[in-house]
Amino acid sequence: MKPFDIVIVGGGGAGLYAAMEAMKTNPALNIAVLSKVYPNRSHTSAAQGGANAALGNKAKDDTIEMHIFDTIKGSDYLADQDAVEVLCSEAPKIIRELENIGTPWSRMEDNTIAQRPFGGAGRPRCCYCADKTGHTILQTLYEQCLRKGVLFFNEYFALNLSVNGSRSRGLIAMNMKTGKVEAFPAKTVIFATGGYAKMYWNRSSNAAGNTGDGQAIAYRAGIPMKDMEFVQFHPTGLRKSGLLVTEGARGEGGYLINKDGERFMVRYAKEKMELGPRDLVSRSIETEILEGRGFDSPAGKYIHLDLRHLGADLIKSRLPQIREMSLNFEGVDPIEEPIPVRPTAHYSMGGIDTDNFGRTIMDGVYAAGECACVSVHGANRLGGNSLLDILVFGRIVGHTAAEEAGKFAPATISELELKESVDELRNRMQPSGHYERYGALREELGQTLALNVGIFRESSLLHKGIQDISGLKERFKKVRVFDSSDVFNTNLMQVLELKNMLDLAETVAVGALAREESRGSHTRIDFPVRDDEKWHKHTLATLVDGKVLPGEKPVTMGRYELQERTY
Amino acid sequence: MTETIDQHQEGKRDVTFRVFRFNPQVDSKPYFDDYTISAERGITVLRSLNYIKEHVDATLSFRAFCQAGICGSCSMRVNGISKLACTSQVWEELDKCREPGIIKVEPLRSMPMIKDLIVDMDPLVDKMKRYANWIESTMPLDEMGKKEFLVSEEEFHRYDKATDCILCASCVSECSILRANKEYVSPAVLLKSYRMNVDSRDSIHDIRLAELVKDHGVWDCTHCYRCQESCVKSIPIMEAIHAIREDALECRGPKDTSGAKHAEAFMEDIEKKGKLVEATLPIRTNGMIWTLRNLLPMAMKMIVKRRTPPPPPLVKSAKGIKIFRAMFREMTEHVKQDHQKSHKK
Ligand SMILES: Cc1cc2nc3c(=O)[nH]c(=O)nc-3n(C[C@H](O)[C@H](O)[C@H](O)COP(=O)(O)OP(=O)(O)OC[C@H]3O[C@@H](n4cnc5c(N)ncnc54)[C@H](O)[C@@H]3O)c2cc1C
Repeated sequence: MKPFDIVIVGGGGAGLYAAMEAMKTNPALNIAVLSKVYPNRSHTSAAQGGANAALGNKAKDDTIEMHIFDTIKGSDYLADQDAVEVLCSEAPKIIRELENIGTPWSRMEDNTIAQRPFGGAGRPRCCYCADKTGHTILQTLYEQCLRKGVLFFNEYFALNLSVNGSRSRGLIAMNMKTGKVEAFPAKTVIFATGGYAKMYWNRSSNAAGNTGDGQAIAYRAGIPMKDMEFVQFHPTGLRKSGLLVTEGARGEGGYLINKDGERFMVRYAKEKMELGPRDLVSRSIETEILEGRGFDSPAGKYIHLDLRHLGADLIKSRLPQIREMSLNFEGVDPIEEPIPVRPTAHYSMGGIDTDNFGRTIMDGVYAAGECACVSVHGANRLGGNSLLDILVFGRIVGHTAAEEAGKFAPATISELELKESVDELRNRMQPSGHYERYGALREELGQTLALNVGIFRESSLLHKGIQDISGLKERFKKVRVFDSSDVFNTNLMQVLELKNMLDLAETVAVGALAREESRGSHTRIDFPVRDDEKWHKHTLATLVDGKVLPGEKPVTMGRYELQERTY
Repeated sequence: MTETIDQHQEGKRDVTFRVFRFNPQVDSKPYFDDYTISAERGITVLRSLNYIKEHVDATLSFRAFCQAGICGSCSMRVNGISKLACTSQVWEELDKCREPGIIKVEPLRSMPMIKDLIVDMDPLVDKMKRYANWIESTMPLDEMGKKEFLVSEEEFHRYDKATDCILCASCVSECSILRANKEYVSPAVLLKSYRMNVDSRDSIHDIRLAELVKDHGVWDCTHCYRCQESCVKSIPIMEAIHAIREDALECRGPKDTSGAKHAEAFMEDIEKKGKLVEATLPIRTNGMIWTLRNLLPMAMKMIVKRRTPPPPPLVKSAKGIKIFRAMFREMTEHVKQDHQKSHKK
């Protein structure tokens, strides 16, 4: 294959924006976008709520400065303040740019882009398109990429980076349609592969493919991961699938009820009740379940989200999506029955360690979007800041790679290296005496993570989690691919995804054990308070000789001093 | 073999999934495999397929991603209808089975087969490109990101519903024209084209429309409504198709396109005589030269077989033509009014 200047792995919001910007920066460059699903299927499409920007359309007195402060406070002061400044200052421009190229934003009475309030924000600055914001943003970007003739390799599954010392030579990927392993020699590689919260499996709101592939590939190539222990839980996921029931249900007046029929939030947030902040509500539900006041079912323990008192009319008119989800995925009509819910892993704050331009420590390797950790979200991401993150840093990374590609000599990937990748896959597909089922391992991984590396963490639980993960890694060696066909081998793909999740899960658990404090999404029962003296820093996880080597990195401060985070 | 999907005591039913199988590497032709599982209330078709893949047959291949009805990956035909597997309830499907207890699962139609339930989406993407399914912004490059276009609520509502499309291609699979003509633009692409054409920020309306009225374009649709009936997001796709046609008539005049001219000639005959004057319809639609070149051989054959339609003077008005004309006028008036209303919405 002809060597590329830029290979972008991932066709979600971050990857597509990077592609557009790189083409704009230097139209002469040879750029490719690889994606394991058609770009318009990427998980960006699932975001409903919206994207934050201090446009001041709704609240005239909103400012970029306020957005910066809300984000830093929301992050529990772990975000890098210079990065947050970039995020929030670029926000109005990027939202307008999307508007200019066709995103169908909902509108205010004065015909400007509509905005609404969102958790943790001092002003209503979340720009939205009904309840399909991510979907419409992704469509717009995909349309524009088609317009510009971006070269797509759809349904290609990235396998490995090709590395030569401290520099990357490009990417090795499998064409799903043919099963062929192909080399993509490239001066620069950008990872934009989305989050890793699916490692909690059916305790996650994420798409089946949010398995952290890009992070795992970079990690195995020796690039450090940052702040992996920070995983955000959303209070209300459906019991069976983990799919999200949006905050709207509680916003309209839904109750959370335990098995004793009690509105238990009264014990945790007397004033705000069900409308307390996400992490608090998640912890409350988890406590009820842990203390035996949850309902039991083979699909796991849960509590009730009861909407019945709102009446059929209101449910039908204001919460039609939630009713549809509940009917489709639980077989429950909320007009007649309460919805079974429990907290669900929703967003990964951690990821590939990058600077403010998306560079990693390896020459020619970049990352952006949920798979990267710049860090703008610190210990806790604010709703509406992630779509913003993928857009702003997607664009920056596209620009940076386009400018810097010229620095690097054209790369080649040897036949030998390609063969190694093929052999690795072939070995998996050889029959063996005793074997393990990947489906079972995947489920067990999700369970141990939810139980031991979940909302409440504690030294002995985390040790158990780490032990379980290494046991699973050992058993994984015996996982066999039963489908021997080259054409669209989803069996093989799922096994490879499991491998990625196992590698990353270890960094999450190890990071959580190391961090002996409670901050943002990370709650240690044995260390219940934030400890700025010891832990106001990022954690790093690097793979050395098959083991996680822990490291750390200072937090970049700026105008805002450390304060207690209260709402 | 019977396997249990979930031991919940909410009630369970035995279900057989009869699944279309085809692996081009080994199979000379497709066949069906039966998988029987015990499924509880609330289980979706996709979850059942996942279960079968994990526990019964790992080679069964299908696409699935978000599992929440928004990414559009898992579209397939369930009991003969194209839909998303992830939002289809097994128990509801049991009521729709042709053979009791057997849910039939097949790939989408009208798209090249890849393996089992997986079909090739590339032809659809190619059509999106051919019909410029994007906004070519009127904002000058150096102004981008500096200011917003002002868009009225009314304009937003014109394309709001159309932007719900997740490109699952269920409509493509159900479209009766596509089954006969793979080059036909397809309902999804017409919908997207409509959405672009009514957006005031766009600058290539005329170019897009010119492409849409060519062969295999908007005039090929036969109003069977199957696209709209099968749309997983309940988008009124036919309204969009009608709107493109009206737009074409208005903007470019009926003389420009054969489809438009055909429609006009059709209307004219019906209004005048209550039936078609078939002999001259091709000439009025496609012109004398085209008709001579393309239809002369057939006309000769028809003459030999005495099957030629009567010449215009011999076409008598249908019985009760006066009442019919009054009704016809009333109807067209209604349609016009409805249309104005729906534009205001
Ligand atoms: C239910 C839900 C609701 C949300 N709502 C909001 C919201 O309201 N506001 C907000 O700001 N954020 C929201 N988020 C978060 C936000 O949607 C995501 O963080 C964001 O969309 C991630 O975008 P991305 O471009 O980084 O990755 P994604 O959109 O996940 O794209 C990843 C891409 O990488 C590709 N890829 C992955 N692995 C491979 C591989 N091995 N080989 C090749 N390609 C690969 C995939 O094909 C895909 O194209 C929500 C998230 C969820 C789950």
